[in-house]
Amino acid sequence: MKVKNLLPAISRRNQIEEDHPFYNLQREMNSLFDDFFRGGSLLARGFSSAAEAFFTPHVDVKETEKEFIINAELPGVDEKNVEVTVSDDSVIIKGEKKEEKEDKSKNYYYMERSYGSFHRVIPLNAETESGKAEASFKNGVLNITVPKSATSKVKGTKVPIKSN
Amino acid sequence: MSEKDIQKKENTAAAERIRNVKTFVPRVDIYETKDALFLVADMPGVDEKAVDVELEKNILTINGRAETEAVKNSSLIYSEYEVGDYERSFTLSDEIDGDKIKATVKNGVLRLELPKAEKVKPKKIQIKAA
Repeated sequence: MKVKNLLPAISRRNQIEEDHPFYNLQREMNSLFDDFFRGGSLLARGFSSAAEAFFTPHVDVKETEKEFIINAELPGVDEKNVEVTVSDDSVIIKGEKKEEKEDKSKNYYYMERSYGSFHRVIPLNAETESGKAEASFKNGVLNITVPKSATSKVKGTKVPIKSN
Repeated sequence: MSEKDIQKKENTAAAERIRNVKTFVPRVDIYETKDALFLVADMPGVDEKAVDVELEKNILTINGRAETEAVKNSSLIYSEYEVGDYERSFTLSDEIDGDKIKATVKNGVLRLELPKAEKVKPKKIQIKAA
C-alpha cells in the first residue's frame, strides 16, 4: 500500500490537482470569474499567455500623513503618451508603450520587452485634493503626489481588537 | 498572479556584491542587422550616469544602478515592484568592434549599438567577366 493513501484527504486532493491538467484549467477559470465578479483586480489580467504579451506597468503606493505617493515603472514610454487622472478616491494611469517602427530585415534573438496600451486604476483609502496633485516623469519612472484633503477621513471604521 | 507576469526577475546568479540592494535581470530585446547588433534593455529608474557597459572578449555585461528615494514617515500601502540594480551578461557569438559601441539611455531604456568588426561583416565579392 502506498504511504500517500494514508495521508488525510486534503493533502491528497492537492496532489491530484497539481497532476491533472483539467484541475489547472478549472483553477484558472475560477480565478478569472473571481476577478470579474469582484469588479476587476488591481492588475488588468487576461489568460496568462495574453498577459505576457501586453505591457502592464507595476505600481508602488506609499502613504504619509499628508499625501499619497504613487510610483509606476514605465520604461520606454514617452511622457506625452501618459495620462494621469486624479479623482476623489482614485488615480488612473493610462497610456501607451509604443513599439518602435519595425524593420522587417532585423533578426531578433531576444524579445522579452512588451508593448501596448495600459490602463490602471489605483484606489486610495482616503479623500484627496485632486486639484493639488502633481506628477513627474524621470528615467522611465512616473511619480504622482496626491495630497489628502484637510478634512480627510479614512473610509471605514477601525475596529479595535480585544485581547483576552 | 502567475510568475510569468512579474516583470522584474531577481538576478540570483549575479556575483555577490557589497552594495546592499537587490539585483534584477532587465528585460531585453536583441536584434541583428547587417552591420551591427542592437540591444535594448528596460531599466526603469536608471539614468545615463548610472550605467556601465563592459565587453570582455565575447562577454557583454550591462550594469545599472537605480537610486531609491526614501520618503520619511511613510508606509507602503501597495507594492508591485522593488527598486534595485540591474545586471545581466551575454555571450556574443560575433566579433564586435569594442571601440565603436554606442550606448544611450532614454526614459529608463538602455540602447546599445554594437558594430560588428570589419572582418566578420559579410562581403560581396565582385565577379569579373573573364
